[in-house]
Amino acid sequence: MTRRMLHGAAVFGVALVFILPLAFMLLGSLRVPGLAPPDGFEWVPDRIRWANFQTVFDLVPLWGYIWNSVLVAAVAVPVTVVVGSLAGFAIATAGPVVRRRLVLVSLVALMIPVTALWIPRFVLFRWAGLIDTPIVLMLPALMATTPFFVLIFAVVYSRIPKQMFEAAALEGSSAIATWRRVAVPLGRPATFAVSVLALVWHWANFVDPLLYLTTEERFTVPLALRTLQTLEATNHPLMLAAAVIATVIPLALFFLAQRAFFVKTLDI
Amino acid sequence: MRGTSLRLLAVSLTLLAATACMGDGGDSSSGNASIRLQVSGEREETAVYRAVVRAFEKDNPQIDVTLVEVADKDDHLAKLATAFSAGDPPDVFLVNFREYSQFVSRGAVAPFEDHLAAQEMDLADYYEEPIEAFTFDGALQCMPQNISSLVVYFNTDLFERAGVEPPFGGWTWDEFRDAALELTTRDVRGVGIEPNVIRLAPFMWSNGGELVDDDTEPTRFTFDDPASREALEFVVSLVRDDEVVPSEREVAAQDLETRFTTGKIAMLLSSRRETPPFREVTGLNFDVLPLPQAERPSGILHSDGYCIAAQSDEQTAAAELIAYATGEQGQTITTLGGRTVPSLESVANSLAFLDPLQAPAHSQVFLDGIPDLRRTPVIPTWPEIEDLAEEILTRAFYEPGYTIDDAIAALEDQTSELFAEGGE
Repeated sequence: MTRRMLHGAAVFGVALVFILPLAFMLLGSLRVPGLAPPDGFEWVPDRIRWANFQTVFDLVPLWGYIWNSVLVAAVAVPVTVVVGSLAGFAIATAGPVVRRRLVLVSLVALMIPVTALWIPRFVLFRWAGLIDTPIVLMLPALMATTPFFVLIFAVVYSRIPKQMFEAAALEGSSAIATWRRVAVPLGRPATFAVSVLALVWHWANFVDPLLYLTTEERFTVPLALRTLQTLEATNHPLMLAAAVIATVIPLALFFLAQRAFFVKTLDI
Repeated sequence: MRGTSLRLLAVSLTLLAATACMGDGGDSSSGNASIRLQVSGEREETAVYRAVVRAFEKDNPQIDVTLVEVADKDDHLAKLATAFSAGDPPDVFLVNFREYSQFVSRGAVAPFEDHLAAQEMDLADYYEEPIEAFTFDGALQCMPQNISSLVVYFNTDLFERAGVEPPFGGWTWDEFRDAALELTTRDVRGVGIEPNVIRLAPFMWSNGGELVDDDTEPTRFTFDDPASREALEFVVSLVRDDEVVPSEREVAAQDLETRFTTGKIAMLLSSRRETPPFREVTGLNFDVLPLPQAERPSGILHSDGYCIAAQSDEQTAAAELIAYATGEQGQTITTLGGRTVPSLESVANSLAFLDPLQAPAHSQVFLDGIPDLRRTPVIPTWPEIEDLAEEILTRAFYEPGYTIDDAIAALEDQTSELFAEGGE
């Protein structure tokens, strides 16, 4: 067996692991609700019911939820990328002592359990009058959502030869200009990766809307899925239909972004 | 596990709330008010609360109610705990009596007792048991909306097929075991029982045993008392010896409710809350039976009550909402939804509850059991004690080599600190 074939088999195997759950979700979403769930796996349901995708909109106001989620992601993802990229650039170009401290601070921040932040954040948001507004879901983006994203940028920018930054500085570029003209174009893979991860993070964020929102009109998609999850197992096709809808949106965005990314970076 | 950890977290969060919970209890009896009500439940369940709120707003246009629905109960408690700690709780929230005392003991609840006279409510119209359950520190803290209890749901088709006559008038443990054996076939198990305290306690009480050493100030479980132990042995033998209860693996693959709705178990021990979802299942014919009894009939109370947050600025409006929801009209609406056994006697005995055309046809079983209802003790650490006990009882049900003695010893050892903490 050649290396090429081995490689192909490995790629196929990994892809299968990721595609199978999606396939089960899609197939499960087409079952007729109210029927007994299958024992074990059922590849193709006996009767296919596309109408589930309609019914689920009658059960929960899904359009509104989707719109809210899109709104949050549309603001939070770009802000996350810009803030994370700037912070990562600062770490990458700092002197050794400062850099070590900044990385340490990021790691410590990364290790704080989120649950410890629930109440302080609630108090803060309430003091600022932001409870029950979509802004509370976007605010983490001002801190790059998670220190992990900052560290991704820091690592990628650290790999760019120092001389390039120095040359830009010699030409009289400000720090911001160097970031924009040197770091961002050379670190495009990091930007792409963080955009995708941030989109997934904000799209799947369940606890923040649960704790800080009270008006149903402002709820986001994960809360709808949670509601549908409590349906009896015989109605789970409806939950899966909502899950398919919730998955398709970021997936479509991913493919669009991926095209743009490859065309720009790899010239394909 | 996730549920357990969330709940533990909720409890620890409420600890933090202790300082933040000294509300001023402002009033706004006249003029417009806007209040928030937080409930939890499945979409089918919460539909009734939506209906109650709409009806209330129609009668009280000066009060605006925002209904906050949280699908999962553990999420509900976590959201409450966070909001309380941060000083912005909902004005009114609905909780089970097994969970409210942690809020009361931290000063988070404004006793409803103070509003009874102003709302012209007479507690004599209500069943006594849930009122007692929501009485803590000598005052009625929250207003119960229902008086549910443990019953045996059964699949009428499977009973017919096995030729088992449903004993609506009551049955003994042996008759229960025999029925379960007869109903068990290759594809069907006789009965579904969850390995937890609230399922086992009525068996212990019925056998003349006790669950804890003192109902008001418990310091330990009394599973070692011979009558209690016998009850535990009986239920465990249904699982281990008779094999009429689904195995741990079967339950992991598909939970008991699903097994019941799909005809894989013939009987299921549960409370009224299963009724609305079971009604939704196409082709499922079900009814309810009383719990089997040993020495005496015994049941266990399930009840949810509306509590007012001490921090709420709209105490009067909140009390008006509760008075409406637990009054004749409110309870009729919730009862028609199928979810509740009304705490108001007049509604419980009305057709809204007893309608024989709606499954379960023998809803009277819930009412017949009321005089024999008992309840778990009300102490702040009770939810955690239940979580620990469930882990131990799960092992007693299923783990090979784990004996009744092991379970009793573990129950004693692992919960003693929580009992001590709860008694403080």
